[in-house]
Amino acid sequence: MTRHFSHLDVLETESIHIFREAAAQFRKPVLLYSIGKDSTVLLHLARKAFYPQKPPFPLLHIDTTWKFRDMIAFRDNTVRELGLELLVQTNQDGIKRGVTPLTYAPSLYTDIMKTAALKQGLDLYGFDAAFGGARRDEEASRAKERVFSFRSPGHRWDPRKQRPEMWRLLNGRLGTGETARIFPLSNWTERDVWRYLLREKLAVVPLYMAAVRPTITRNGQILVLDDDRMPLLPGETVEYRRVRFRTLGCWPLTAAVLSDAADIESVVAETLAATTSERQGRLIDHDQTGAMERKKQEGYF
Amino acid sequence: MPGAAIKIGSKQAVEPVSGPAGIAQVQGNSAAQPAWGVLDGIVHLLTCGSVDDGKSTLIGRLLWDASDLPEDTRQTLRKSAGPDGEPDVSLLLDGLVAEREQGITIDIAWRYFDAGPRRYVVIDSPGHEQYTRNMASGASHADVAIMLVDARHGVKRQTRRHAAILDLIGVRQVILAVNKMDVADWSEKLFREIETDFSSVARNFAFEKALAIPVSAKLGDNVARRSQHMPWYDGPVLLDELARVPGRGTASSGEFRMPVQLVLRGGQDFRGLAGTISGGSVRPGDRIQDALSGREARVRRIATMDRDLDEASAGQAVVLQLDTDIDVARGAVLAGPQARPISAREIDARLVWLADTALDAANGLLLRTATDLVPIAALKVRARLDLETLAQNAAETCTTNDIVIADIALGRAVAIDLFAEHRETGSFVVVDALSGATLAGGIVKAARETTADMDTASFLLTDDLLARGVCLGLDPADAEFRRRAEEVALILRAAGVVVSTR
Repeated sequence: MTRHFSHLDVLETESIHIFREAAAQFRKPVLLYSIGKDSTVLLHLARKAFYPQKPPFPLLHIDTTWKFRDMIAFRDNTVRELGLELLVQTNQDGIKRGVTPLTYAPSLYTDIMKTAALKQGLDLYGFDAAFGGARRDEEASRAKERVFSFRSPGHRWDPRKQRPEMWRLLNGRLGTGETARIFPLSNWTERDVWRYLLREKLAVVPLYMAAVRPTITRNGQILVLDDDRMPLLPGETVEYRRVRFRTLGCWPLTAAVLSDAADIESVVAETLAATTSERQGRLIDHDQTGAMERKKQEGYF
Repeated sequence: MPGAAIKIGSKQAVEPVSGPAGIAQVQGNSAAQPAWGVLDGIVHLLTCGSVDDGKSTLIGRLLWDASDLPEDTRQTLRKSAGPDGEPDVSLLLDGLVAEREQGITIDIAWRYFDAGPRRYVVIDSPGHEQYTRNMASGASHADVAIMLVDARHGVKRQTRRHAAILDLIGVRQVILAVNKMDVADWSEKLFREIETDFSSVARNFAFEKALAIPVSAKLGDNVARRSQHMPWYDGPVLLDELARVPGRGTASSGEFRMPVQLVLRGGQDFRGLAGTISGGSVRPGDRIQDALSGREARVRRIATMDRDLDEASAGQAVVLQLDTDIDVARGAVLAGPQARPISAREIDARLVWLADTALDAANGLLLRTATDLVPIAALKVRARLDLETLAQNAAETCTTNDIVIADIALGRAVAIDLFAEHRETGSFVVVDALSGATLAGGIVKAARETTADMDTASFLLTDDLLARGVCLGLDPADAEFRRRAEEVALILRAAGVVVSTR
């Protein structure tokens, strides 16, 4: 007998397998929850992996205090509905020093408010493994990432010293001081994430759907004003436009696209027909050549 | 209004396999592709060859001509076009900064593209001899391999070496892309000679299919579109041949196998064994057995979060509830009643040495099977395989990139299959007990059955005993206490002692 599975079935099984392997091998894992569509899929797969139990780990959100308000509301609603434990980590030192996406270069802001906060969170609770929603199709340096990615003490990533992975075998044995990042969505593409959200009828943050929102145009990118913290530059005016987001981050650093796709079916249709790659909307990646690789070496997801 | 999550319909308790109504599950090649693009399985293709053979150009060409490449990427690439107006498609394969600086690919990179009704995953690994380990680990994920040669140079020692690695690691479909036909006068004579050489190499191995295709990656001839320059070639173009490869998502028949990953509980009486089925299929009511103990039970339920299944087959992640508790946990392999895995204490293995350092037999070593982790009591290298002549040269040790024949004695019995029969339960990795590093990948050529009464010594390791010495001052609930306990058990087991804990 021969049975065919769709590519989404194959990806789902692989992700569930990875979740179970990690949960069995690591002492204290955590799921890095960033509220976006990838996290939504990640969390859904975690629930499937451990059914009928709840996922045997908490969620950790790195809150820069610059996330869209809709994202925070969605986060709180999700953990309440599913009865999960949520930990929120903010780099208080960065807040005290006035580090904001408005006052610092994107790369420096990310180092302090995201990478440093992430390391603080992992160290504070003593997590030895963190699940993340990163995908190999996102960026060149991610294309070489392992499913189980090991970090030396200080959370540093050395692209030259990664463990080879063969067949479906996942080796989670840690050396002294090592921790691991686990990427169950390694082999998914942006389109797969959308297709899967649709197939599984999952709720996502409303910002992914087109609506009329207050916007400005800066450096050729459309930014949505989520509150009044960002002063307008001379010549900038607020324009109400129908926009949505392909990717969600800190609002002053995340560009929107013009769109009429107001429900998830239209978003998927638009995404499948899209002609630009997803991280174009992430301003932090354009800051310097090899930006993502450098961020990763320093401990960013 | 912040906070109003958009709910897309509500999940019903029971729904068809297909997911949303109206979207048929992909069945064979008959079903049309739904509008939002569920694809018919996934094909993993490994590319082997060196920079000079034009490997990056070939994959770049596939992406450029046949895939759903985003427009911004295309724009960027057009800017790189040389005086002839052709974009340098090899730039699509650029990797890490460190590698770009060296101008070579030193690690495995994964690329994804959709062409026609299928998803393709390109596993890009370096071909040079010093990267045998990278190629071997890449090959372990591949359904098909594209071996690349320069038409002007033909089949080389490297081609033979690559074929040997592919065969060993279990790749059954290979394609020889004879590249740079554009600078070889599109010569049929040249191609036929290479084709013949390739056939004689491939005959030494267990490939199910080995096909040579003349291409020009630079110009795109016979990659995704038929060449106008080689009317004498009437075989398939590369992309069409790839479309014929049976991909992941095609579950074959065979003996039932499921390595147990976890025990999951729910409510009062639900104790489920979670795992990914690696061979055959299972239905409620089927008799299954635990490979090591031989204890049997019947499957009561096949549970998933979506619904209970009437049948599950290879490639599905499930939770099995049995009708009686046969005391199995992580590390066990569930099998059908007919042929169960070997309860092995000794393995005749082939190893690909992946580590940067040579084998140090004095180091603590562990063997990781599908879901089990066992101490290795002894690892003895017998011979090193010469990949070009296939000769077995006597050797006692091995180092980076070596492929060796080795005997492995285990601290306790492990459920394992022969690789030729069951890929997933017949492969393993060797792990450094101290650093956790993955030292080698291995396949099982033969394994010796042993029985429990061969165990000569046993030891009861109690928390009391540990707390008096090696874990002095620690609470048994501490992670460090448990870690030390595990290490002590490991050492004892490696010495052949059966350890039970309480």
